[in-house]
Amino acid sequence: MPLQTLKKDTAQELSLEWVLHIKNYKLNLDKNRCAGCQICSLACPKEAIRIEKQSKAHGEKAQKAKVDIDLSKCNFCGICDILCPYGAISVTVDGKHLLSVLDKESFPQMVRDIKAAASKFPMDHDRSEDVCPMELIKVHFSTADGKPVEDPGSLNESERRALKVDVEVDKEHCPCCGICEAKLPQGAMHVRKLLSGKLAIKSEKCPPECTDCLDVCPINGVLYLSDDDKKVHANEMFCVYCGACKVVCPVDEALDFKRTRVNHTPVRSGAWNKALERLTSPTDLTKELKAKGSLKTRESVKKRMGLKGEKHA
Amino acid sequence: MKSMPRGTRKNVGTPRKERKPGQKKAGPKAEGPRIGVFVCQCGSNIASIVDVDALTKYAQTLPNVVYAENMNYPCSRQGQDEIIVAIKKNKLDRVVVAGCSPRLYEPTFQSCVSRAELNPWLFEMANIREFASYCHQTTPEEATEKAKDTVRMAVAKARLLQALKPIELPVTKKVMVIGGGIAGINAALDLADMGFKVYMVEKTETIGGYMALLDKTFPTLDCSICIEGPKMVDVGRHPNIEIISYADVLKVDGYVGNFKVKIRKNPRYVIAASCTGCGECRDACPIEYPNYADMYLGVRKAISIPFDQAVPLTHTINRDYCIECYKCVDACGAREAINFDQKPEEIEVNVGAIVVTIGYGMYDPKDLAWTGYGRFSNVFTALEFERLILAAGPTGGKVIRASDGQKPHSVAFIQCVGSRDINKFEYCSSFCCMYTLKHAVMLKEKYREAIEVYVFYNDMRSNFKGYEEFFNRAQKSGVKFVRVKLENRRITEDPQTKNLTVFGENEDGKPVSAEAEMVVLANAAIPSQAASELAKILNIPLGKDGFFVECQPKIRPTDTEVPGIFLAGACQGLKDIPYSVAQGSAAAAQAACVLSKDSWTVEPLVAKVNEELCSGCRVCESACGYHAINVEKVGDKSVAKVVEGLCRGCGICSSACPMDAVTMPNYSDIQIVAQIQAVMERKLKKT
Repeated sequence: MPLQTLKKDTAQELSLEWVLHIKNYKLNLDKNRCAGCQICSLACPKEAIRIEKQSKAHGEKAQKAKVDIDLSKCNFCGICDILCPYGAISVTVDGKHLLSVLDKESFPQMVRDIKAAASKFPMDHDRSEDVCPMELIKVHFSTADGKPVEDPGSLNESERRALKVDVEVDKEHCPCCGICEAKLPQGAMHVRKLLSGKLAIKSEKCPPECTDCLDVCPINGVLYLSDDDKKVHANEMFCVYCGACKVVCPVDEALDFKRTRVNHTPVRSGAWNKALERLTSPTDLTKELKAKGSLKTRESVKKRMGLKGEKHA
Repeated sequence: MKSMPRGTRKNVGTPRKERKPGQKKAGPKAEGPRIGVFVCQCGSNIASIVDVDALTKYAQTLPNVVYAENMNYPCSRQGQDEIIVAIKKNKLDRVVVAGCSPRLYEPTFQSCVSRAELNPWLFEMANIREFASYCHQTTPEEATEKAKDTVRMAVAKARLLQALKPIELPVTKKVMVIGGGIAGINAALDLADMGFKVYMVEKTETIGGYMALLDKTFPTLDCSICIEGPKMVDVGRHPNIEIISYADVLKVDGYVGNFKVKIRKNPRYVIAASCTGCGECRDACPIEYPNYADMYLGVRKAISIPFDQAVPLTHTINRDYCIECYKCVDACGAREAINFDQKPEEIEVNVGAIVVTIGYGMYDPKDLAWTGYGRFSNVFTALEFERLILAAGPTGGKVIRASDGQKPHSVAFIQCVGSRDINKFEYCSSFCCMYTLKHAVMLKEKYREAIEVYVFYNDMRSNFKGYEEFFNRAQKSGVKFVRVKLENRRITEDPQTKNLTVFGENEDGKPVSAEAEMVVLANAAIPSQAASELAKILNIPLGKDGFFVECQPKIRPTDTEVPGIFLAGACQGLKDIPYSVAQGSAAAAQAACVLSKDSWTVEPLVAKVNEELCSGCRVCESACGYHAINVEKVGDKSVAKVVEGLCRGCGICSSACPMDAVTMPNYSDIQIVAQIQAVMERKLKKT
């Protein structure tokens, strides 16, 4: 059997595959999860990913940009998989989701700093699960003897207090918007941003009645249409800095958007530096490198001082 | 002269100049040249048809002929001695032999007359055998008349012959071998051992060619890389050999003894001199891509070598796949062998001879729909099977199916896939029968009763030493041979089990079939992809089958039409390993014939340009098929210059030149016109 390179593009998913006699490489893009942001296409070291802006019919809502991957350029490295804030891309080797670039420390792991304190969750399925715009939080209530409880609201106060609460957060697909932290009782959720940056809409530059950015933003609550001026405004607090809005914005100056930082595990890699530079800016890359350098210096100085101190003692 | 055709009149004036010195040189006497004619009887080959006595008498009547005789074999030692005596006795200064073809015997007689202290180019041959006695056997009288015409023509030309000096070309005592397969390896080692500097240019990352990818060799079942590997290492270590791998030949200028070759070294992004081949970079690299050396069944790292025995052991970064994480740079550390800024580098080398050993390619049977290759997961090509059964291969030597990873209980081999097919490749691929026997025997002797092996063949070609015996061994081992016609073969797949059924027709036209869990195709071997490009660069012809054409298929199989360029191995025509090895050494010996000389002598029958007449119009330049004539600036004038080493004396430039500025020595217009006039004489007399 010769090497087979396959590409399948359906309404639900885009999949790329290398079928070798002894190995199978597969890339799957879940189109429902994909927000049409540019992150994968910016980060791809082989420039294999293209973002296609969809044309908008008059009076219709804007469509999120479509992602297309060039099979002849893709090397199944999985960098898009690692970086996608929505976890829409999955690269597998022989069906296993083990990426060699992480294994060999050629690329950092994204740090999704999400903690859930189950005890602080309200005794209500709907209230706690529905706060997540991506529907990634699942809360299970059960009695002390393990019986699941569907509607804790129907129980009395003491019974409710005795309930066991389990919270399940699908971190892999979480872009870390932080809405849960804000909307749930204090301390129930702790979320740090995966990506940091800046988002500001200059409403005066927006074309009349344009809501394209709002139409494509996958996170309910970041952008809203103001009743006062009928223009879209941003609530930057919940923005995940994916940039899907920037892709569809028809006026360059209307949307002031940039990424400045990516939360990741420490790494020494040219591929990462390049990806970071393209996701943020050369200045932000320099900042990270400097920070890394000074951290290293601080550590080595500390080590030496520590050793000296011991000697003196 | 009066009856001269209109178009040639202008020719009369120019060569007159050259006639004067010629005549002066040849005969100081006022009466002009003294011509001797020697008529050959050639046993009965000529004498039984042509009346040689009458012909000799006739020759004596021709102007300037002072001596004529006929003899049985002028080409014999005795005959040559007689000619020498006659030349001296009669003070002959031109010699005509009327006999057979100049292609065969001109050099013999040229050396004969030069022994009589006569310039060898004052000799002319009249072919009265092929042109008279052979083709007019039933009409001896007419044959004799035609022989007279032929002799008259030769004498007419001989009268105007000029003494010429052979051209001596310097020889660069270095040689280039293009292609590092087993033929090239042998050519290179032989030449290097003879003491010549050898540049071995290889397109891929490593030398070794196809042989390095094979598991075993027939008929001895020796491990292929175990016998080739040491030779590869020898090439790598030989002080006289410089391997230029991962490189392309861009341009070849010059001629025998003096070739100038431009080569592009493609960047490996690894500094060859610093790379120790340790492989630490490879271990650090996170990226894999399909490996051509494994026929894409397996993978290799973005920085790696194609297989463990690669020579040179220098690693290569494939930038098509590399993500530039620089983990390899960290791993390489102080050796600092990795350089991402490497650029393609063009170099030029001067060599005296070139041996072309670029090998062959493999036909992709995907477009033969009946094979199911590419659609049915358990259909393989022979080379894929080779990598499957190889212990160092991607499966560790396990022959397993692609559909389920299981060992097959039955394997069918299909012969002549694409080859011996007039719609695809008419020729026989030459080694498929034998490698199929090898695969069949290996399977059968390894798994015995646990495997059923079928060979669907049409003719079994096992015609070299030990090969027929190997066929017998295969039959004895229990391999089932099914003889089928090449037409109407097909393969079907069971969609559930992914097993395959092979259908064919036996000699009586009756259907035969067998079910097998794996099918292996003996797909045609084809000319190398690089052949057509290289043919243009070297100006050597390709045959209609796409392989390089040798000078003469029987007695000059490793020469090309271009002096100094030789062929060996499968690029000249498909052949197996021992034959390729032998040809590699043969081509080396021929290259050494050039390299061992201090100067290379070529016939002076090359174009001459009269620079006064030349207008620099470049018509000759575009007419020349050998790039042997180029217009250059001389002072403020553009004139055509002949590269004597390249000129083959075909005369195209001379006939194309609108200014009559180019002449061919001893084929000048006036000499040719004299011959035409001589042959027309009889007709003119009759009418």
